[in-house]
Amino acid sequence: MAGEVSFKKEIESLRLGDGDTFYGEGILAVTKALLQSGVAYVGGYQGAPVTHLLDVLVQSGDMLEELGIHLETCTNEAAAAAMLGASINYPLRGAVTWKSIVGTNVAADALSNLASAGVIGGAMIIVGEDYGEGASVIQERTHAMAMKSSMWLLDPRPELSSIVNMVERGFELSEASNTPVILELRIRACHVFGAFKAKDNIAPEFSTRHKMKPAQFLYNRLSHPPVIFPQEVAKFEKRMPAARKFIQENKLNEFLGPKSGDIGIIVQGGIFNALNSRLALAGLSDAYGNVQVPTLALNVTYPLVPEEIVQFCVGKKAVLLLEEGSPDFIEQSLGQILRKADMQTKLHGKDMLPMAGEYSPIVIGRGLAKFLAAYGKRSEALENWIKEVDAQGSEVTKALGVALPPRPPTFCTGCPERPIFSAMKILRKEMGPVHVAVDIGCHALATFPPFSQGNSILGYGMSLASASAVASTQQERPVSIMGDGGFWHNGLLTGVAGAVLNKDDSVLIVMNNGYSSATGQQDLPSSVPEEDGRGRGVDIEGAVRSMGVSWIKHVHTYSVSKVVTTLRDALKTNEKGLKVIIADGECQLARQRRIRPAMAKLSAQGKRVVRTRFWVDPDVCTGDHSCIRFSGCPSLTIKPNEDKLRTDPVAYVNNDCVGCGLCGEVSHAAQLCPSFAEIQVIENPGLWDRLRNRVSRGMIRLFGGGAEREKIATLVPAE
Amino acid sequence: MTNAKPIRLLIAALGGEGGGVLAGWIANAALLAGHYGQRTSIPGVAQRTGATTYYLEILPRDGSVQGAPVLALNPAPGEVDVMVASEMLEAVRSIQTGLVSADRTLLIASTSRVYTVDEKSAMGDGRLNPERMETVARQFSRETVIADFAAIAASVKAPLNAVLLGAISGSKALPISAEHFRAAIRDGKSVEANLRGFEAGLNLNGTRVESAEIVTSAPPAIEANLEERARKIVPSVASEIAVEGVRRLNDFQGPDYAGLYIERLIRFAPKADGAFMRELARHLAVRMSFEDTIRVAQLKLREGRVARLRRESNANEGDLIVVAEFLKPGPEEILSMLTPGLGRAMLRFVHRMGWSEKSFPMRVRTTRFGGFLRLKMLASLRGWRPRTLRYAEEQAWIERWLSLVEQALHLDQDVAREVVETARLVKGYGETYKRGHANWNRIAAEIVEPYLKGGLAPAQFADAVLQARLAALADPDGARLDSVIGSLRNLTERRIAAE
Repeated sequence: MAGEVSFKKEIESLRLGDGDTFYGEGILAVTKALLQSGVAYVGGYQGAPVTHLLDVLVQSGDMLEELGIHLETCTNEAAAAAMLGASINYPLRGAVTWKSIVGTNVAADALSNLASAGVIGGAMIIVGEDYGEGASVIQERTHAMAMKSSMWLLDPRPELSSIVNMVERGFELSEASNTPVILELRIRACHVFGAFKAKDNIAPEFSTRHKMKPAQFLYNRLSHPPVIFPQEVAKFEKRMPAARKFIQENKLNEFLGPKSGDIGIIVQGGIFNALNSRLALAGLSDAYGNVQVPTLALNVTYPLVPEEIVQFCVGKKAVLLLEEGSPDFIEQSLGQILRKADMQTKLHGKDMLPMAGEYSPIVIGRGLAKFLAAYGKRSEALENWIKEVDAQGSEVTKALGVALPPRPPTFCTGCPERPIFSAMKILRKEMGPVHVAVDIGCHALATFPPFSQGNSILGYGMSLASASAVASTQQERPVSIMGDGGFWHNGLLTGVAGAVLNKDDSVLIVMNNGYSSATGQQDLPSSVPEEDGRGRGVDIEGAVRSMGVSWIKHVHTYSVSKVVTTLRDALKTNEKGLKVIIADGECQLARQRRIRPAMAKLSAQGKRVVRTRFWVDPDVCTGDHSCIRFSGCPSLTIKPNEDKLRTDPVAYVNNDCVGCGLCGEVSHAAQLCPSFAEIQVIENPGLWDRLRNRVSRGMIRLFGGGAEREKIATLVPAE
Repeated sequence: MTNAKPIRLLIAALGGEGGGVLAGWIANAALLAGHYGQRTSIPGVAQRTGATTYYLEILPRDGSVQGAPVLALNPAPGEVDVMVASEMLEAVRSIQTGLVSADRTLLIASTSRVYTVDEKSAMGDGRLNPERMETVARQFSRETVIADFAAIAASVKAPLNAVLLGAISGSKALPISAEHFRAAIRDGKSVEANLRGFEAGLNLNGTRVESAEIVTSAPPAIEANLEERARKIVPSVASEIAVEGVRRLNDFQGPDYAGLYIERLIRFAPKADGAFMRELARHLAVRMSFEDTIRVAQLKLREGRVARLRRESNANEGDLIVVAEFLKPGPEEILSMLTPGLGRAMLRFVHRMGWSEKSFPMRVRTTRFGGFLRLKMLASLRGWRPRTLRYAEEQAWIERWLSLVEQALHLDQDVAREVVETARLVKGYGETYKRGHANWNRIAAEIVEPYLKGGLAPAQFADAVLQARLAALADPDGARLDSVIGSLRNLTERRIAAE
């Protein structure tokens, strides 16, 4: 059984076979299902909530090699989608993954071409639908992309055996209809921990171990005129009918509950469990999903099978459709199906449920209550619950008397990106505001307090491109921020090459922290090559220079004064064209993961170790908290004032401090106050340390210093 | 249909606190106990210290039912049986969204606070009221186990999440034995520390644990008769503060200066009540012990400071510590140590030359002799202090402030109290100090002085001063203060026009 989520254990469970029970998170169950389906190649681009799928595969190289599976950590989603091209000509099953909607957008060009040509090997795209609570991207539906390219969209019930089954059936569906399929998983489904009965992994027939010959030249496999016209026809005359037949014959959609009844509910598979808990409250279901209202759970939400819809609606006065998000694609289709079948069943959906936003229990509860009441099946339990929930919210607000402050994510303790924004804030005071183009990545956290800066976000690696028209229409040069992740994802070409081509007079800061950090430290082309890593040490400066940029400066992020000077220079220099500042500073999470155990080991071996941290002198601090407004570091916080004469809380550095040095740099660069001190703790001091310390101590005592008295007593026993 | 209902548990934590691990332990323990257990979460970018939640449903296995349960992935308000919060604000947040309910929920919450950026970046005191949060927590839950779990975790050197797991087990709210929880811990990492934390949480039995006492470094005691005088001249509620003030100022400058403090208090003592004197004594002592360069050096040479630093940085016996102070005096800090005439002339010169923004970054190692000596020399300038420009300016400010307080006191004690409180605006160093002074001057010149001549009822006057002070602390750019002063002016102008 799985314990604390660690990939070592997950990798072991990926080897489970017939009859074993797999325990784990949804996204890892998908990984196992891919192996059970005999995939020949896997790839993708990291992004919550599907990151673990790739991470675990990256770490299980041995097993992939045994099975002959090709693994690609793609540079962006377009590359991943293009990789599915292997299934156009060859009987290879392949799967790629990314975060959607954003990743699907990036991949759209390749996906359109792939979908037009069609596949002979099963092709599956696993998307983490980043929608609702916890989402970090614009709120749109992948559904639209499936529709416009005629790819099939699977939305399984969020329960491991259902998800695994849809992966396996999905490949068959893809092959039966020569069409790529998309498996959509919401955030909570990706992270849901559960169990399913495992099967043996299947080694693909053709693979890295059993190689094939190149395909013969078949013009109709190309997405190129004139075959694009028959391909479009084939989508609707051959592939979609084949898909509908497969969906129906294999019962991918589930008819639940009683066979007859005058009302029914149609629901996307992915939100069935949320519906079930509300039905249970209304006395219309139980903890085992024994629904008492006819329910059609759509595990395939595109295409719909008109025969199934008609069959479900026959004899019903009304159906309620639960379709999360907008636009209401499914509702429009249902209306059309009912109309064409000349059925009088009343269709409810977005009239009783909101057009936009996550379908949380309370949202579903409200819609369900309306529906039941409209058809004489009012549930008192459900309605009372809604009333109580509404009442409590206002009661608590009254009792508290104040609004609760939000708690958005912030840069980690000691993050190397924070100092850049401290420097920008210092410079903003000096020079006034400049236009700041924000990108996707950890650095986007600078849009939250205490930095609160940024004028636009246009997508991953897009910041510089988004500032191009701003650059020529403003007095001051705009500053674009880009992470190394965004830089390699597409910023180098979309941004840097574009700016050079158009002679944009602009400033770009590239955060070189060494990894794709926001998603959990995946390697990038520029990551330092390591034995077990995938980094190749590609030089960012070299890449920029090769594009024709001549103004390139490196700064070490923690040197705030240097960052201020460099940035001021970039904004003020008479040199026209793109100015690139490469901000070097390794991701602190990765750094701590590496050096903490190493330091602990050295310390235990009795070797000299110097540990650094910062400290605020509570006697000197006057409680203005300017330092916090320039930092926001989680370890720089406040505590009650010890001074009887003062009441404002003083700044305080807690023991999570990693000694990055920002506090001292900021207090210098912004001329804040003399409260900060750096403490170096020398463990296992050497002879020289001790000698130096003794001399200093002696001299200090001689000159009347009492500060060290306690230390003398405790530290140096008679030597 | 069966009547079996899953037990629903929600954990509110901050990214990086181990809430996911805690949820993992509970789900695994549920499986070990033979139940169905499902957990899920929405980490996303919340893993970076943002607020996040983890949701679990546990359903005891029922042999008579065929098939697997359908468990929900989202918590529903009003239907959470056990709410666990690693921090008080997050506990209250879950109450506000209705996830904790008075008829159903057992709330296990830590009173410890991780302050939000809004709270900690306020220019004064932006903290939420802890008593009120705890009252709300108790009022809106069925039962509570409220304690400072973070302090317990620190005291047994164990992670917070393990202590919370112990408290969950101890509450007996889940059909899972302590042994199963322990087994789940043993299946993971850092087993020893986690088990230690688990036992500490388990043995809590709902008793309240207070945070550790704050250790303060008191300035040295002085001649008893000065203290005695201070105690006598003010009403008893104010005496503790007055005595503290006398000590502070004796340490700052000497007995004569402490005597000046007493003289200044005597001007007000007969006219005002105890609470008023208490606040006046507090602010007067703070303003009289202004933070000039000499004072900073003095504070940084405090006895016992190194011992304290060792304690706070968790240095072990045998470790050495090196302390480097970050100082960056500018022309004003340095030149204000000269006599008023010379100092002013030099500052004018520096300003003319455009050197006002120049400053001297220093890292002074106070644990090394060289660094110590530098600060020692600065601190020894204490005797020179009364002749400095800074001293003259500070005394002039204090006299102006006291005179406004005095005039206000003739009018109304509430107005005077608010004028006393305006001293809070003047604090800090460099920019902060200048901004505070500028704000104070505006309030003095545009509100206090004009309305002392009449035009506002005392209650309105007091409120105007209060609103202006709060506005000055609302943002560093002074935008709010502008609008408060502006609207006040409009109000009185309209009234004059109407009359």
